[in-house]
Amino acid sequence: MFNYDLDLSMNRANGTVTFDESGTITSSINGEVLLTLSADNMTELSVSGGVGCGFLYATMKDESEVLICRFTMSVLKAAGEFCKVVNYYINSKEFPKSEEKHKLVCEKCGRPFAEGISVCLFCYDQMGVLKRALMLLKPFAPKMITAQLFLTLSQILYLLVPLFSRMLIDDHLRTQTGTAMQVIILAGAMFLARGLGELIYIISSRVYNKCSILYSNHLRVLAYEKIQKLSLNSLAKRTPGDLIRRVMEDTGTVRNFISDAGRWAIEQMIVFVVVLIILLVTNWRLTLLVFLPVPLVAFALSRFRGFIRLRYEKQWRKNSKAHSILHDIIRGIRTVKSFGKEEMEIEKFAKATRELAQVSSDNEALWSLLFPTLLFFTGIGEFLILYFGGRSVLGGGLTLGVLIQFTMYIGYIYGPLRWLVSFPRWLADATTSMVKLFEIIDEEPEIIAVENPKNVPLEGKITFENVTFGYKSYEPVLKGIDIEIKPGEMIGLVGRSGAGKSTIINLLLRLYDPNQGRITINGVDIREISPEYLHENIGVVFQDTFLFHGTLYDNIAYGKEGATPEQVIAAAKIANAHDFIMQTSDGYNTIIGENGYTLSGGERQRIAIARAIIKNPSILILDEATSSLDVETESIIQESLDRIVKGRTTIAIAHRLSTLKNADRLFVIDGGKIAEYGTHFELLKKKGIYYNLVMAQRKTSKIAEPVEV
Amino acid sequence: MENTNEASRSLASAIDIGFLDPKKAEFYVTAGGFTGLRYEGNDYKRITLRRAFPIGKPSEYISVADKDNKEIGIIRSLADLDKDQYEIVVAELEKRYYSPTVYEVKSVKDKLGYVYMELLVGKNGATYTKNCAVKDVTRNIRLLSEDTLAIFDVDGNRYIVESLSKLDKKSLKRLEPYLL
Repeated sequence: MFNYDLDLSMNRANGTVTFDESGTITSSINGEVLLTLSADNMTELSVSGGVGCGFLYATMKDESEVLICRFTMSVLKAAGEFCKVVNYYINSKEFPKSEEKHKLVCEKCGRPFAEGISVCLFCYDQMGVLKRALMLLKPFAPKMITAQLFLTLSQILYLLVPLFSRMLIDDHLRTQTGTAMQVIILAGAMFLARGLGELIYIISSRVYNKCSILYSNHLRVLAYEKIQKLSLNSLAKRTPGDLIRRVMEDTGTVRNFISDAGRWAIEQMIVFVVVLIILLVTNWRLTLLVFLPVPLVAFALSRFRGFIRLRYEKQWRKNSKAHSILHDIIRGIRTVKSFGKEEMEIEKFAKATRELAQVSSDNEALWSLLFPTLLFFTGIGEFLILYFGGRSVLGGGLTLGVLIQFTMYIGYIYGPLRWLVSFPRWLADATTSMVKLFEIIDEEPEIIAVENPKNVPLEGKITFENVTFGYKSYEPVLKGIDIEIKPGEMIGLVGRSGAGKSTIINLLLRLYDPNQGRITINGVDIREISPEYLHENIGVVFQDTFLFHGTLYDNIAYGKEGATPEQVIAAAKIANAHDFIMQTSDGYNTIIGENGYTLSGGERQRIAIARAIIKNPSILILDEATSSLDVETESIIQESLDRIVKGRTTIAIAHRLSTLKNADRLFVIDGGKIAEYGTHFELLKKKGIYYNLVMAQRKTSKIAEPVEV
Repeated sequence: MENTNEASRSLASAIDIGFLDPKKAEFYVTAGGFTGLRYEGNDYKRITLRRAFPIGKPSEYISVADKDNKEIGIIRSLADLDKDQYEIVVAELEKRYYSPTVYEVKSVKDKLGYVYMELLVGKNGATYTKNCAVKDVTRNIRLLSEDTLAIFDVDGNRYIVESLSKLDKKSLKRLEPYLL
């Protein structure tokens, strides 16, 4: 069941679609039934998205289509999940096991969850999160607590200075009764208190900071380990930037909170209480004067903080806009120049920088007014103490030493107060970072390795049995795929872009698990084989070759742990890479740039092939391995591929059909299903989809290049 | 201008844009609740209408596609259609493009790169409060003109502030930091 929010005329409505045990779908608004349909008469239930809205419709057995309901985009995912359940029933006449529904909005405040986060950032249990973070702190706790005690001691030592100062002034200087020795002793005590305090401070803060670094490192490793274990499906919910931010920035935020805010919280509160007691005991009236401007400053700080932050954020966004315009122009400078659009681009950038300059100048003007004003008001307490305290000193009600002691202690009172105003925000920032980290750490991987894997020798007999799969559960990409591949056979997957060819490969690699059906290798379900063993036995070459920063040797040896130089050279020779590697000045030790940019496309691809075959896999997957290359380079690589596919089960995808001419069988994928299969000649004779693809390619090849098919 | 015309003439000779002949097109509502089209002897049971220029020219250049998303043709201007045909097409477009109007911005809160908004929105006279989250505000809070603003939320909904100048002061103040 799911609730929808628009009626058929696109007005706001409270609608419900249900699917009951008799296989009937009922749509109603405010309890009034609008439509009932039996799933037994349907071939498929689907959702379709418009712009800002979508609709649910049924395809009936007589091929007619019936509109069931309309909704805003907020309902699309729920409608998709509903389709999944009904379509399962249509195909199997059974009801699927109920799955836990992913919540999309917070039940408490109604706000949608941020993408990839299933915790409401406004309503989570802040203290609970903090408690958990502190539990993880346990191994570092003894050192940190000791360091904290010493840090507090250093602060107490600093507090002695104004006391000694008062004693010096009142007991010895003002009365002029003190001896030089007494002055030296008191000055020495002040020096010692300060010096010892600093020394303790330096040592203990080093210990404390080291612990907080180790703690954040511990969190970082936990999060990184989990990311490596999560399935592509889980990772796809988040952008790479988001994951990097969680591992690097969020752990940094937690560390800063522990090392700065956490430490200060204890330190400053102790100092505040001690100073407050000293001041109250010394002169409670003057003490009250110290607090007079506090409410005003606290109010001003909290009132303006949000406002200033928004203004600076706007400046940051304007800056980022100007930056991205500049980035775009410089990257596309060739296009700009060839279209003669220099003037237009100059104006575009000038406009963005003008706007940035305006916002920056407004912000600076505001800040230059606000900051001194706030400082002035914060300092009012000092003026009041000087005025009233000064009058008391002149009237004999207060000694000069006490007044000086008061002014010295004021800093110790205002510091923690200013800090207290910011503390809730620090705490909020740190706990939200913790929530994001714990979410990753706690996430259960969707691809679960079985406890007792059946790691039998994988000779390369692959079977897809009624496999259905969709990246989004409501949009199946593959529908009921049945394929049987014999050991050593070369299979070509053919079809239009988006037909589902690469998805078949993703499933075989177990980057995702099928929604229905199973995939076996040598009769064993791949879910029962350990992922590491499976990947050891499958070599893959993708179209977009990702090479890591490092040497050519490292990149080839990446495919096999502990590969020997002979194995690396052999793999490179099979992949036709050895010759060009030997042309470079450092041979196999040549360092390639990030993502291998210093290599040509063909060279990168050959390194990738060497990397795939170095482990001598029984199954080889070539996913558009030569698509982005020119004909000449392709033929070089093709030659190496022809050499390596022998004796291995090979699955190849290529949009250039000539690449697949040697395949034993070709499977034509269309609309997520196997539309045709057979040898090249069998399929040509059939004059179906494959024939049309070949003809279309022949037609374009007359203009572009000769294709032999 | 002459050059442009020349250019369009030569482009038009290179490719047939495929404008629909409004006199031959017969739009109708199917029994299943969809919009269909009979055209040049073909009966398309469920068509999809798409505006080529939804912002500048919402009533011109309307692409008509069949249920497999293959374009049947383009309606040059809705004004070329007969009244009853016009009504069917406009009703279908209304069902494809759903952008409620924003009447009030009740609150805006920024958290972890998301802007959470509580908006009073409405369509066809009825209003309701909507909680939405906006990611990447530089791209998803967009001025369509000097006075018109579009807000795109993370679900894919879109809300339109038809006139910023007519929005109440508090709402405008809440939106102001995001107007770039």
